[in-house]
Amino acid sequence: MFEMTPKMGEFADVEPLSISTGLPDELCEIMYTDEYRELLGIARSLMARGELSERALRLTGRVIDLAPAFYTIWNYRFDILVSLSKDLSNDEKVLRLNEELDWIDEFTLNNPKNYQIWSYKQCILQNHPSPVLKRELPILKFMLDEDTKNYHVWSFRKWCILFFNDFSNELEFADSMVERDVYNNSAWTHRMFILKNLKPTAVEIKTEVEYIMRKINYVPQNISPWTYLRGIYENFLASKYDNNIVEFAKKFTSNVTDLDFEDPNVKLPDIESSYSLEFLAHIYSLQKTTIINAKRAYMGLSSKYDPIRKFYWDSQISRLH
Amino acid sequence: MHTQFATEKHVKYLKRHLGLLPSSQQSHDVNKMAIIFYSLVSLSAIGIDVAKEYGSSAQWICRHRIALESSGSKVALSGFVGSLTLDIPNTNTVSLPNTLFALLVLRLLKCDEFFCSVRNRETICAFVSTCQVAEDGSFTSVLANKHFLPSPLDASDLRFCFIAVEILCLLGCRKLQDYSKYINVDKLIAYILSQQCDSGGFGSYGEPHAGYTSCALSTLSLLESLACLTDEFKELTLLWLVHRQVSDEGCMQLQCKNPFFDEEDHGGFQGRENKFADTCYAFWCLNSMNILQFNTSATLGTFESAKMYLLSRTQNTIIGGFSKNDVDDPDLYHTCLGVAALKLIEGTFNGVLFLPSAIDVSS
Repeated sequence: MFEMTPKMGEFADVEPLSISTGLPDELCEIMYTDEYRELLGIARSLMARGELSERALRLTGRVIDLAPAFYTIWNYRFDILVSLSKDLSNDEKVLRLNEELDWIDEFTLNNPKNYQIWSYKQCILQNHPSPVLKRELPILKFMLDEDTKNYHVWSFRKWCILFFNDFSNELEFADSMVERDVYNNSAWTHRMFILKNLKPTAVEIKTEVEYIMRKINYVPQNISPWTYLRGIYENFLASKYDNNIVEFAKKFTSNVTDLDFEDPNVKLPDIESSYSLEFLAHIYSLQKTTIINAKRAYMGLSSKYDPIRKFYWDSQISRLH
Repeated sequence: MHTQFATEKHVKYLKRHLGLLPSSQQSHDVNKMAIIFYSLVSLSAIGIDVAKEYGSSAQWICRHRIALESSGSKVALSGFVGSLTLDIPNTNTVSLPNTLFALLVLRLLKCDEFFCSVRNRETICAFVSTCQVAEDGSFTSVLANKHFLPSPLDASDLRFCFIAVEILCLLGCRKLQDYSKYINVDKLIAYILSQQCDSGGFGSYGEPHAGYTSCALSTLSLLESLACLTDEFKELTLLWLVHRQVSDEGCMQLQCKNPFFDEEDHGGFQGRENKFADTCYAFWCLNSMNILQFNTSATLGTFESAKMYLLSRTQNTIIGGFSKNDVDDPDLYHTCLGVAALKLIEGTFNGVLFLPSAIDVSS
C-alpha cells in the first residue's frame, strides 16, 4: 500500500510502542500484518508522548485508512489540528481547515459506511472561522445518490441546515428525493423537519396537502405519505380533519366502512390501500357518531387488508365504545 | 426450507470468532471486546456454559481496564478499552461501549469479584459521569484526548445514553437516587423525550429508527421511568413498531413498485419505513414491544412469524450464523442479534440488559 514503510521514512527517530499479543488466555488473537504492527507501534508512541506535528497528522491519516474504527485516533488528529492552527492568521486557518474538510470528503467517498466521520466533520465546521453550506451540499447529494436512505447522512444534512440556518434549498431537495423514490421515508421526514422550521402559512399548508394527494394518487399503498399527511393535520391543522380529506381517503377503500359487517353474507371488496383505511379508522375513532365506521375499518384491516397485525387491530376494536 | 435452529453449526461458528483471527479482521482490532461479547453472549444464550469454557480469560479481560489519573496522580476514573492496542500511556482511550461489553463479559464469565470492588465500581461510574454532555444531558462514547471532558468530536445519541445507564445498572444502581449520584437523570430523560417522533418511535430530527427506539425504551425501563411517556405516545410507538413487521398479505402485496420491498421478507422486521427486513431489527422491535408490555397471548402470531423469518430466511445452516438478509454472508453482529431475538421469543433472554435471563447480575 505504501511505497515506504513509516519506520524507514520520517519516523526513523521514533521508538515504536509495540502491540502486545500472545498473552495467556487471550481471546480473538488477530494475526496482524507487519504494516499494521509498524504503523500502530509508531502511532501509539507519538500519542503517548503527545507529539503535535505535521508528520503526526500525516500518520493519523494512514492509521485511519487502515483502522477507521480507531476512535481515539480521531481525537488525536483533532488535537494536532488545533495545535497546528492556533497561531495562524484567520486566512491561514481557513485554508488549513478547508484542507481538512477536503481530506474528510475524500475519506468519506472511500468509506461510505463509516459514521464517525460525520461528528468529526461537525466539529471541524464548528471550529471553522467561515464555514460555507454550499461547500457541503455536493458531497451530501453524492452520498444520498449512492445510498438514498443513509440515516447518518440525512441526520448530518439536518444538522447542517440548523447550523447554517439556511432552509432555502431544502423543500426542493426533499421533493427531488421523493420524485426519485416516492417510498423514501427519510425524504418525507426531512420534508416535515423543514416545514416545521419554516412555520408555513395556511395557504402553504393547503398546497402541501395537495402535494401529498398527488403522491398518494400515484401510489396509494405507501405508508410514508399517509404518515406525513397525518403529521400535517396534527402539526398545522389542529387535527381537524375536513370532509375533503375523508372523501379523498375513501376513494381508495371501495367504501368498505359503509358495509354492514354484521351481515354474514357481506363480502369485503378489494381496496387500493390499507393505509387509507387505517387513516380513516383514526379519524372515525375521534368522534362518537363515527365509531361504528372506525370499527368496520379495523375489522377490515384485521380480517383481510392487513392481517399480520391482527392482534393490534383487534385490540383497537375492543377499545372502541 | 430449514425451520430448526442449527445449534451445533452456530456453536462452531461462534467459537471460531474467539480463536485466532486472520489479518482481515484487524480493522476490528480496536473493538475486539465487541467480538468477544457478541460471541460469548450468543453461546451462553444457546446454552453453552461459557464461564466453564472461557472463565480463565477473565483476568485477561480485566487487563483491558485502564485507570486514568488526574493531575495529582490519583486514579480519578477508569474504563475499558476494546483491545490492548489501545492501552496507550497519557491518552484517554477508554470508551463506554467497550466498558459495557467488558462488564457483560465479566458477568457471563461469573467473575463476581470484579463487581465487589468498590474502587472498580466508583471509578467506572465516574467515567460514565464524565461522558454526560452538560448542554443536553446526552452521552458521548469517549472522552477528549487529554481532558476529562466528553469528546468534542464524538456523536452523542440514544445508543450511548443506553450504554451509560446500563453500565451504572451493572455496577449496582437500581433506583433513581442511585443513578442520580453519578448523572443528571432529569436532563437525560429530557434528552430522551426530545428524540420522540411524531409518528411514534424515537430517532434524531424526527425520523424514527427501531434501534434508537429500543435504546430509548430500554434506558427508560432501567431508570423505571417509562411513566414519563404519555399513554398516547406509547400507543403510537406500539403502532409504529407493529408496522415494522413486513408482510406479504392483503394490501401489502400492492407494493410491486417499491424498490425496498421483498415479499419473501414476510414476518421479518425492518428498522424504518419502506426498508427491507433485517435480522437485527427483529430483536430491536420485539424488545421494544416487550418493554411496552405487548408480549401477550394475543401477539403470539407476531412473534411466531418473526421466528419463522429468522429460521428460514437469514439462518445459515451450512456454516452456521445469521446474516442481515438472505443475500449477505452471515456475520457476528447479525448472528448475535438473531440468536437474541429467538431467545427473546422463547422467553429466556433479558432484552433490556441484553443477557440470557439465567445470568445473575444482582451481586
